[in-house]
Amino acid sequence: MNLIAPSARLIDAATGEILAGAELSAAVDRTAEAYAALPPGVVFARAGTSVPTVLRYAGALRAGRAVALLDPALDPAVLADFIGRFEPAVVVGLAEGGAGADSGERPKSYQQVDDEVLGPVWRREVPPADEPHPELAVLLATSGSTGDPKFVRLSSSAVSSNAAAIAEALAIGPDEIAPTSLPLYYSFGMSVLNSHLAAGATVLVVDGGVLAREFWQAVQTYGATSLAGVPYNYEMLHRIRWSPAKYPSIRTLTQAGGKLRDEMILAFHEKISAAGGRFHVMWGCTEAGPRMSTLPADALPARVGSVGPALAGGSFSVVNAEGAETAAPGVIGELVYRGPNVMMGYAENSADLTRGDDQGGVLRTGDLGHLDEDGFVWLRGRIKRFGKIFGIRVNLHDIEEMLRDQGPVVAVSGPDKVVVFVEGIDENAARDLAGRLAERLKLHRSGFDVRTIERLPQLPNGKIDYRSLEAQV
Amino acid sequence: MTLNDRLRAVFVDALELPEGTDVENLNYRGIEQWDSLGHMTLVAAIEDEFDVQLETDQVIDMSSFKVALDMLRGLSVDE
Repeated sequence: MNLIAPSARLIDAATGEILAGAELSAAVDRTAEAYAALPPGVVFARAGTSVPTVLRYAGALRAGRAVALLDPALDPAVLADFIGRFEPAVVVGLAEGGAGADSGERPKSYQQVDDEVLGPVWRREVPPADEPHPELAVLLATSGSTGDPKFVRLSSSAVSSNAAAIAEALAIGPDEIAPTSLPLYYSFGMSVLNSHLAAGATVLVVDGGVLAREFWQAVQTYGATSLAGVPYNYEMLHRIRWSPAKYPSIRTLTQAGGKLRDEMILAFHEKISAAGGRFHVMWGCTEAGPRMSTLPADALPARVGSVGPALAGGSFSVVNAEGAETAAPGVIGELVYRGPNVMMGYAENSADLTRGDDQGGVLRTGDLGHLDEDGFVWLRGRIKRFGKIFGIRVNLHDIEEMLRDQGPVVAVSGPDKVVVFVEGIDENAARDLAGRLAERLKLHRSGFDVRTIERLPQLPNGKIDYRSLEAQV
Repeated sequence: MTLNDRLRAVFVDALELPEGTDVENLNYRGIEQWDSLGHMTLVAAIEDEFDVQLETDQVIDMSSFKVALDMLRGLSVDE
């Protein structure tokens, strides 16, 4: 597949180099040709935020090779396990990544080669047992630092249709310049890249994120027009009293990757509106490649809290407690998404890569919520995030909402109790909170174990690492 | 304690640096501990310790120990 429209550009903030038009196309072709000489199989790309990463990614797609975008800071043992299970033809980007990034030892059956085009790589010496499905384009690891990581399989049509639908929903045209504020191996970061390249816009490749001086220098130097962030990024920007007034080229702020507090949404909406721009709350998941919905900017402030209607080509329904599916407004249940961007399925090993479409364009999101009369989605937490206290089911999301005034709070399920982690509270306050929850939920206080934690652990994409907290319980 | 020593103590504490870290030569994102989360913790710790409030640009510009030290001197924090 060809991800890159003719007018698309890549700006390398580190070098000032601009790749555009025939030159960009030729650079992608060169990487595509470099892959042609390799044994069959998928490409593993250690994906730091760099222009070479983008070229190795786009080149693999152009060569018709499925490519897995991987966090360069992935634990070497996890990378080795992935390589053993998926038998990639090549691991590229060995030199990618900053502090803490280490690719580990060269795996068995791989040769280390310094490829003229691809750079330092591990090349497989024998073909893998299985050939990946021809429709397979992108593999992204499911989030979770512990447990059993697996890949989400995205087809080329899922990737390209989602890129086009996002560009339509956000009105991304050739004049847009998006900085890489999020990692490229993270589905949201990848979708910013895909949607801009496919729309013939510019991607400003700059490493460091929204707290780095280089990032904001590049935004100013190249006149970036948008900023994409997860809730954690907006919380940080709020904390440092960032204002779009200083960066007048920025006209669009987008937010996905979890629930941002309503007051924060409204604050950023007001700030960017005052500067003549717009704020978009969006919803997605890696399994949908990733975008499912976008809240139109003019729906704020009236519909704050909603993540908007489905993208063009997609639709939502709800499966209620009795298992009946409906698109009727006001029914609470598990949200189901249908669209061309839904994944083909998961993959645990190389045999799974040969599989076709297991999903049929349908995705059970695992999120609870309802639709309103206009088809806007209103979320109310993860369906599986329930705890049991003395046999009574309690919604962990609701508990977190009750304690919002405490700052960052996470509730996880323990043996017949709910464990609540609160950042930096003392013993007395913890006891009081347990009492407050017991009273609100009319359950005995011994069912609530409130603990202090210095900092809630986070995944590389800024989301709370629930699994590591669950492991502490 | 000199300003340099006080700031070093804040860095060690806020970023949970192992003993023997060459604190004076640290750069933002140069080590695992000084990531975006560490940066926010560090900013809060500096504001507490020196009773200052950092501006947006100061938070973003604070890309090394040395820059942080110069910044505090610029804010007329007592030596």
